[in-house]
Formats: sequence, C-alpha cells, structure tokens
Amino acid sequence: MSAELPVAFALLLVAVAGTATVLTRDPVRQAAVLAGFGLALAVLFAVLQAPDVALSELAVGTALTPLMVLLSVRKVRRKARSERREEHE
Amino acid sequence: MARRLTAVAQAVAEVAAWWTVLAGLWLVLIQTVDTLECCVGAGAALLAALGGRAARRAAEQR
Amino acid sequence: MNGWLAAACALLLAGFLPALLCVCTGPVRRRVLAQNLATVLAALVLLLLSQGYARPSYTDMALVLAVLGPVGTLVYERLLRDELRAARPSARVTRTMTVLGVAPVPLVVAPVCAAAAPGRTTLKLLAVGCLLVAGSALCTRALTAPPGGGAGDER
Repeated sequence: MSAELPVAFALLLVAVAGTATVLTRDPVRQAAVLAGFGLALAVLFAVLQAPDVALSELAVGTALTPLMVLLSVRKVRRKARSERREEHE
Repeated sequence: MARRLTAVAQAVAEVAAWWTVLAGLWLVLIQTVDTLECCVGAGAALLAALGGRAARRAAEQR
Repeated sequence: MNGWLAAACALLLAGFLPALLCVCTGPVRRRVLAQNLATVLAALVLLLLSQGYARPSYTDMALVLAVLGPVGTLVYERLLRDELRAARPSARVTRTMTVLGVAPVPLVVAPVCAAAAPGRTTLKLLAVGCLLVAGSALCTRALTAPPGGGAGDER
C-alpha cells in the first residue's frame, strides 16, 4: 500500500490542477494554471515510471504551451484594439 | 592592423572560453565517456560557443 | 517506500501543492511568481524521486525542467511586461520569493549528492542545482523589476 502513496499524491495534484484549469476563465491566467497542470502531470508520469513521457510533457507543457497561448492572446488583443479593416483584408 | 589582430584574439579567446564551459557540461551530462561521444561533444560545443558569442553581441548591441 | 520517496511526497504536499494553489488564485504577478516557485519545487521532487527509485537517469527530467522552467517564466515576463510593470511589489515580497525559490535547492541537492555515487553523477547533480538556483533568482528578479526599466540587461 505504502508504495502507492506517491501515485495517490500525484493523482491528487493532477486533479486539483486540472479542476483549477477548467474553472479559470481569463486566458492569461489560465496559461499560468496550465503550466502548473503540466508540472503536476510530469510528476505523475515520473511516479508511474514513465520518464520519457514526463520529459516530453515537460518540454511541451512548461515552455511551448504558455508561449502559444500568450502569443495568441496578444495577437487577438492587438487586433481588437486596432481598426476593423485588418479583419476585412 | 594591430587593432584587428587584438579583436581577432579577443574573439578567439571568448569562443574558447564558451567552448571550455560547454564541452565540460557535455562531458558531465553524457552517460558513457568514449571517443565518439567526445568528438560529437567537441563539435556541438564549438557550434554552441559560436552561438553563445553571437547571442552576447546581439544582447549588447540593444 | 524509502526515505527519499517519503521526502518527495512531503515536498509535493507541503511545497508544490501550496505553490499550485497560489498559481490558481490572485493577480497575475502572484500567479507567475508562484509558477516559478512551483517549477523549482517540481524539479527538486523529480531529483528526490530519481534517488528514491535508484534510477540515476531519472535526473534528466530535473535537468530538462531546470533548463526549460526559467524559459517558460521569462516568456510570461516578456509578454505580460505591461501588466507586471504597472505596479511595484513590496520589498518584502521580493525578498520572500527569492529566498523561497533559492533556499530549498541546496537543502535537497546536498543530501542527494552525498547519497549518490561520487564521480560524474555528483557533478551532474551540482550542475542541475546551479541551474535551478540561477534560473530561479533570475526569474524572480525579472518578475519583480521596478516599473520602466531595470533587470532587463540579461536579454
């Protein structure tokens, strides 16, 4: 039983982080929560003896996903701020 | 002429410093040390050293 | 379950979970600072796990996280600069976050180094520790920079 304790804790963290990600509305704040969710998932994969999956999750989740989300948010905001004619082009 | 020689010497010294650090890091991080790994590491460290110098110059020009 | 795994569980519950809860609540700066802290703590948990499972190659995960974590945090700093520089955090917040982000690293890396077989593994662990300390300190400084300049000289 005690060998499964790390798995249980990691699952708990993933559940907390996943729920928080879903409940966050603002995309900028959601990007930060998403990075935390990626960290929790990586710990879960490490505990489940899958270091290769954890490595790819770390690579994608910590740097790539926030970058893409924040770039899209910035682009959308900039477009909304400027004139509408950009949309028609 | 002498100034250009000094500049070249400075560039070589900087790349050599980067190369030493990066090759040392490579040696620490690989699993088994053999000749092939050392050669690949030396090449990769040279590329990364040139990149490091370029990045530092780009950062200083800003 | 050995002592290393117990320590990893304790760090998960006492360090990582509060940091995660801070990421989920509050203003943007607090979230990003807590995310930086969570990155450092997760890397330390991975180090403890690799020692607990007696798999030295698992330290690669901590190494990747130590390299990529500051990159991710600096992405936030770059793209949210206007929001972050709008107000200045109190000196107490800056000091606390710097200490919280740096202090746990030697506390975990030193015992793991002592337990690991001496040689290149020790050097690798020390390199991971140095990367973690440098990345955490750099990110905290960048995130708590005063409005309108400063702390941008690394880039």
